[in-house]
Amino acid sequence: MSEAILSVDLDAFAANVATARSRVAPADVMLVVKDDAYAHGIPAIVMRAWQEGVRWFGAFDVPTGRAVREALGHEPRIFVWLAFGEDELRSVAELDLDLGVGDAALLEEIAAVGGRTRVHLKVDSGLHRNGVRPEEWPAFVERAAQLERVGAIEVVGIWSHIAEASDAEDDAARAAFDLAVRQAEEAGLRPALRHLAASAASFARGEFRYDLCRIGAFCYGIRPSGGPSDAVLGIRPIATLRAPVISVDGESVVVGVGSLDGLPSTLAGRFDVTTPAGPRRVTRIDGRRSWVESWPDAAPGQLVDVFGREAAASATDLAELIGTIGEEVALRVSPRVPREYRGA
Amino acid sequence: MASVASGDHIVDLRYDALGHGAAACAPTLADAGVDAVIVDGDLADAVTDAAAGRLRVLTDGDPTLDTAALFGIEGSGAPVMRLSGTVLGVKPLRAGEGVSYGYLHRAAHDTRIALVTGGYAQGVVRALGGRAHVRVRGALHPIIGRVAMDVCVVDVQEAEIRRGDPVVFFGDPSRGEPPLEEWVSSTGMGAAELVALVGARVRRDHE
Repeated sequence: MSEAILSVDLDAFAANVATARSRVAPADVMLVVKDDAYAHGIPAIVMRAWQEGVRWFGAFDVPTGRAVREALGHEPRIFVWLAFGEDELRSVAELDLDLGVGDAALLEEIAAVGGRTRVHLKVDSGLHRNGVRPEEWPAFVERAAQLERVGAIEVVGIWSHIAEASDAEDDAARAAFDLAVRQAEEAGLRPALRHLAASAASFARGEFRYDLCRIGAFCYGIRPSGGPSDAVLGIRPIATLRAPVISVDGESVVVGVGSLDGLPSTLAGRFDVTTPAGPRRVTRIDGRRSWVESWPDAAPGQLVDVFGREAAASATDLAELIGTIGEEVALRVSPRVPREYRGA
Repeated sequence: MASVASGDHIVDLRYDALGHGAAACAPTLADAGVDAVIVDGDLADAVTDAAAGRLRVLTDGDPTLDTAALFGIEGSGAPVMRLSGTVLGVKPLRAGEGVSYGYLHRAAHDTRIALVTGGYAQGVVRALGGRAHVRVRGALHPIIGRVAMDVCVVDVQEAEIRRGDPVVFFGDPSRGEPPLEEWVSSTGMGAAELVALVGARVRRDHE
């Protein structure tokens, strides 16, 4: 068992959720909870979000959708990005999930399951990952309209992802998205839910909000690398990775967290943790232990805040040191590190 | 806790056997003549059950056998872990079109790309975009663009690849699978931390 702990402040989470909801209103927030709520733990996160008024949850895959349904019951709308294989598609229907469909073959597969599943059709507006290419879109929505007329599916949404490469390229993606919505309407579809933006665009650019904004990172207090500060965004980190002092070793204090707990070894020598005596540099990161510059009266059992809400450095601060994003730093914290919740 | 006699073969299975699954490893280790294993406290019962009395189960101490060699990482022994994903779809990418967040990659010529399950939430490190390969239907193909949280994009050109095909991220190079060393050199991270997180985050099966 890891000696480190990930402490999640649910009141701070609720404050971020409130910021997001007021920022994007009248659009709705879809709280993205994929990958165990960005490693913060699904049950506690979704229960608090529901209390705070969140009604849409973005689950990415069917197992996550199931976890949200089990935590919250039948009321919330739960959107999954994709499903794979007959078993998962049957689960989509049984669990009453909304399904993203960005592939002509998947459209036929979900229609064959029956059960009039609610689908959100995905156009590739330029990111070139999932989604139907614009030249294939008119035939795709034509087919979706046929399947809706015979009661095999219900088309409730149109969605896409943007690259966030530049405002100009994102504007081009938005134009492609608007065209796709018009073509869907011309095909006879009446999708009430349009969603294009994730955290960054939904905060920065009103015209990207449409009906729903898929927000994960900002609700967990993870700002973009190289982007606006926490203060500008009105968010703050919600989790703290904390570890005990194991021993005092001359000039160094040995702390019970290491790269096998998910603290990237590439951070050694590059950041300060928060000790009882203030910030101290991490000089070495091994599998199970890290070495930190000593402080007066350092003693085993004292706690060190490694990164996050109560530490000197946030997940994104660390990410910027090693050329990545805060989401990756947050998600590397091993599921074997116990989670504790405050404000529950 | 059981005592440890000198001359015992002791294996370190902490961090859930570096993500390989401590309980699943236990019977194999007993077959191989290992005497004792060191495990995480919360997994001691599961490992004890799996070992069925054939191993002493410790929660502290020092191993006598090299952990890296046991799991075939860091250049010693044969690799034990293989990470696989699935092709979610294949589609064309035209010359000049960008791929994934930030359009870090742009196609030099018309090609075909596969969207593959596996992103940084599963331990496919974000830095691997443009720096590592996967194996699909017997051939190696590069990961292009930014690795996303749950998926990545692979340039498969004209290869006959279909939705549902299995994809190997790393495995046993003697079987033609990409080596974990490609991840180590591309990320600057250690083999143990790479496999430990992958194993903790993905669905595991054992053969």
